[in-house]
Amino acid sequence: MFLRRTIPIFIVGFFGAFTLFGWFIENESIKAFINDDATQWYDIIASFAIFLGALNLLKLQSLKVLKRQSGWQYSLIAILSFLYVFVIGFFMRGAFFVEISSIPSNPDPMINLVNETTALELNSSYFVDVNNENPFRIEVPFYTDSSADDFVAQLASLGVNSAVVPTPWGAHIQTSGGLFKWMFDNIFTPLSATMFALLAFFVASASYRAFKARNFEATLLLLAGIIIMIGRVPVGSLISSWFVMYLTVLGVGVVLSGLVRDRRIIFGWVLFGLLFVTILGMQMGWPIDKPTMFFLPALQEWIYMVPNVAGARAIMIGIGLGIIITSLRYIFGLEKSYIGDQ
Amino acid sequence: MNKQTLQNQLVLIGIVLLTLLISRFEFFNSERSFMFAILLLIIYILFQEVSNVKKNPDSIFLRTIPGLKAVEEAVGRSTEMGRPILYVPGIMDMNEVETVAGVIILGHVANMTAQYETSLDVPVSRSIVMQAAREACKESYLRQGRPELFNDDMVHYVTDEQFAYAAGVNGIMQRSKPAACMYMGKFYAESLLFAETGNGIGAIQIAGTASQAQIPFFVTACDYTLMGEEYFAASAYLSEKPELIGGVKAQDTFKIFLIFLIGLGFLARMLFDLDILSFNLVELIG
Repeated sequence: MFLRRTIPIFIVGFFGAFTLFGWFIENESIKAFINDDATQWYDIIASFAIFLGALNLLKLQSLKVLKRQSGWQYSLIAILSFLYVFVIGFFMRGAFFVEISSIPSNPDPMINLVNETTALELNSSYFVDVNNENPFRIEVPFYTDSSADDFVAQLASLGVNSAVVPTPWGAHIQTSGGLFKWMFDNIFTPLSATMFALLAFFVASASYRAFKARNFEATLLLLAGIIIMIGRVPVGSLISSWFVMYLTVLGVGVVLSGLVRDRRIIFGWVLFGLLFVTILGMQMGWPIDKPTMFFLPALQEWIYMVPNVAGARAIMIGIGLGIIITSLRYIFGLEKSYIGDQ
Repeated sequence: MNKQTLQNQLVLIGIVLLTLLISRFEFFNSERSFMFAILLLIIYILFQEVSNVKKNPDSIFLRTIPGLKAVEEAVGRSTEMGRPILYVPGIMDMNEVETVAGVIILGHVANMTAQYETSLDVPVSRSIVMQAAREACKESYLRQGRPELFNDDMVHYVTDEQFAYAAGVNGIMQRSKPAACMYMGKFYAESLLFAETGNGIGAIQIAGTASQAQIPFFVTACDYTLMGEEYFAASAYLSEKPELIGGVKAQDTFKIFLIFLIGLGFLARMLFDLDILSFNLVELIG
């Protein structure tokens, strides 16, 4: 109990309080601990913990393949992908550069060979100052040591002195043209982008459901959405505020028709409204952006900056308070559920 | 004036005096004095409310949160349909308070799945979260006297990468067709990918997050959403422990104080702009 409960709670409390109150103290060591060291400690622990996750992933996917459970083919792809990345990350540099330190008197055959092999477009000007002190590095790496050696041998047959320079371990995963980077740029990134692109379709289907005018709130959302969408595109500024006013009068008439049975009242409202807008328009000379509150770009700006920001801030304050109180509950040991104590 | 009011006033004066005193020391960042006083005040309110609730547990009314009521309904539905429950504790690590809250709620959900003998599937995107979630589930199954129903693999690691994780979880949803999907933690763009896929398979969906930008997506696609502070109150609501319910009350008490402060700030700023007041309260607060 002491090891599983008391010590973890003490550690959380001590470091939580230290980090919290350390924010008020002017001391470089404490600042460094809070801003850098503590975060790095966490990163180190998380880096070691990744092995637990990787082993768990391999175990589950292997079992699925061995038991031929439904979708085992995907598990096989997952295992092979894992092994591929593991091997090219830990055991293969996948990036070997060739450096040319001297060139023959006629460099053209060498330049042709380099251009054919690497798809570069080099010419003799690149090799003007090449010597042992200042070798020329061909910026397209070879995936394997042996292919780089073969290329060096071909260059040697043309009288070129060159050597293979492997990329240092660690840097090899970020070397442009290297095997790992190739995998990342050409397999991983497009797959991620595909998943991200799916969002467009999901946003469309979710919006369709959200914008159905089922009740008052949904109708309000629909109207606000339409105003913001039209107000934010160039065509929005071409729509006269008088047109919007006429629409508003008719819209209020539609709403009234559901509430009032006497049609004369509705007719009276619509007639009065249309006349009022027309007379006002004639008096003001029909300016496209006046009255401002009916001009869509101005109206959308107001919706976006006033009710929207007010709602967002209210949620934000609630979230902030929730985080503060929850954190204090952890720090002072009031909440112990995170170590399984319910 | 009763004893409680006197005590509150004395503590308030004490906090102000302590802040003024400590601000004189060189090691203290005096620009943050106001924040320091506010922090002390929150801590006092928290302990005060916890003590009040402990003395009289019935004194607090905790309003029904539909999203949390629905958790039990979702577990029941899964049991009836004989399908699993999918629980996603977000995509961030345990250094995020939202993830910790998600793991805590998972413990309560696991209590119910242990009671109802429903299978639970928890794909995670961080190894540390995997360990913490396993511990939480294990404790719940032990507490319910059903350790034989728990197995380590009900909490399993998928990947750290955001969209790879989204693809993995969506695949799980499409294959195992869970009757209920719960998303409790910190989410980014993958929130809608999860929620729409869950909607597509007809699962009852409950989401809880403090990620403000993702709340609209969850509200649109899920049946119930715990928004912001509701999400942090979930643990108190589900556990019904006085010290946690006291925290919720403290949160509300401080909210009233904040509303008062916002009103005061608005008024003071207005008077300052009209040259009626000579000092700007907003600047004083920092």
